[in-house]
Amino acid sequence: MDASVLIVLTTSLVVGLAAGFVMHRADFCLAGAFRDQFLFRDGRRLRALVLLATVSAVLFELARVAGALPYYPFPWFAPPSLTNLAGGFLFGVGMVLAGGCVVGVLYKLGGGSSAAGVALLGLLAGSALYAEIHPAWSRLAGAAAWPEAGVTLPQLTGVAPGWWVAAIVLLGGGSCWRWQRQGLWRPPEVRAEGSLPLWQTALALSGLGLLSAVGTGMPMGVTTSYAKAAAFVEGLIAPGHLARVAYFNAQPIPYVLPYGGPQLSGGGGATLDVVALIQFPLIGGIVLGALASALLLGEFRPRWLMPWRQVLMVFCGGVIMALGARMTPGCNVWHLLGGLPLLTMQSLLFLLGLLPGTWVGGRLFLRLSAP
Amino acid sequence: MTTKTIELDIRGQVCPSCLLLTLREINTHHADLSAGRLSLVVLTDSRDATGTIPAAAKNMGLAAQLDKVEEYYRVIIARPEERL
Repeated sequence: MDASVLIVLTTSLVVGLAAGFVMHRADFCLAGAFRDQFLFRDGRRLRALVLLATVSAVLFELARVAGALPYYPFPWFAPPSLTNLAGGFLFGVGMVLAGGCVVGVLYKLGGGSSAAGVALLGLLAGSALYAEIHPAWSRLAGAAAWPEAGVTLPQLTGVAPGWWVAAIVLLGGGSCWRWQRQGLWRPPEVRAEGSLPLWQTALALSGLGLLSAVGTGMPMGVTTSYAKAAAFVEGLIAPGHLARVAYFNAQPIPYVLPYGGPQLSGGGGATLDVVALIQFPLIGGIVLGALASALLLGEFRPRWLMPWRQVLMVFCGGVIMALGARMTPGCNVWHLLGGLPLLTMQSLLFLLGLLPGTWVGGRLFLRLSAP
Repeated sequence: MTTKTIELDIRGQVCPSCLLLTLREINTHHADLSAGRLSLVVLTDSRDATGTIPAAAKNMGLAAQLDKVEEYYRVIIARPEERL
């Protein structure tokens, strides 16, 4: 096996295993970060997310200056389009109804949650649905794009990334410091066995994000693989139709593997390409890492006690979230932990859409989750 | 002295239903809980809810005790004077 392939595969797997483990221990739910702020005025996980994005911005910038990042900005980020905003909105609605984001459902699945399994099925269905509307949506995305803007705010403004990161440190770091003085990083007095404080988990995840960026050339991301999985399933059920869906038959994403690797390409189709090489070990790692955590705590016992109205809500949440992820394109982990620290404009627009989307999702959750 | 117990089994439900349903139950029975006539037993497998439910109970003037039972958790909510 080519050394570069081995580096990418190993990095993704290690990052996934560690991320799944710590996320399960802390119940580090990124959907909950925004949702709980809106629904309960509980900002614990949102503060942890600010810490995570701030530390990631510093780590990525240090790595860039040191020449340790194979690619800068990260590959697969593009100039902004208004469709990033719309995708972020739908993603926000969907992740609240599904009870977790695209990564959250993976660690929850590893922890034994049947709700996460239903959300996953919804994600596959939503990805397949998007493939049907992809040609029309990509025309719209092209018409609403601003290609001259570049990919990042530093590129748009001509101000060096270091100055922007200094501003992030002042704003984000200053807020974290203020929360420290207010005692807001203290974990709850009563908590689950083996619980990991959110701030420690945020620091661990920023370290893992850096490892992913250095080892694979890009931050953590998983959603194209949901489209792949949907394509594999569709291939079993309706192979004739699959062959006619353009999205599932294109390989539009080029990628030269870092560390002298070959030029590869990938896409959402049912093939083991570069997307599968990078994302499958990460996905498997997150599920297995969370499973290991749950087994060590003696907490793994999947059960089916969810009311049917919740099953329907979670499934629809998964469908909406997948549509949002493909329309943006990218998920909250890709954008908030990878793009935002680099101030990519796609990620900023995604966040701008995600906030009202999460609010709407929270309102819907209150109406739909219980009679 | 507590005379009655209500059990709320919310294992397997999607987040944040655990907290929402517990808050609804506390609100419905707050007078009896505060007077010590009732205690609420919540069964949950949400790791996050093991922190948020006791914190919410405390904010509402009640006490909470957390126990791990096999692979899930039991939160007992009652007035602070009760021996949980």
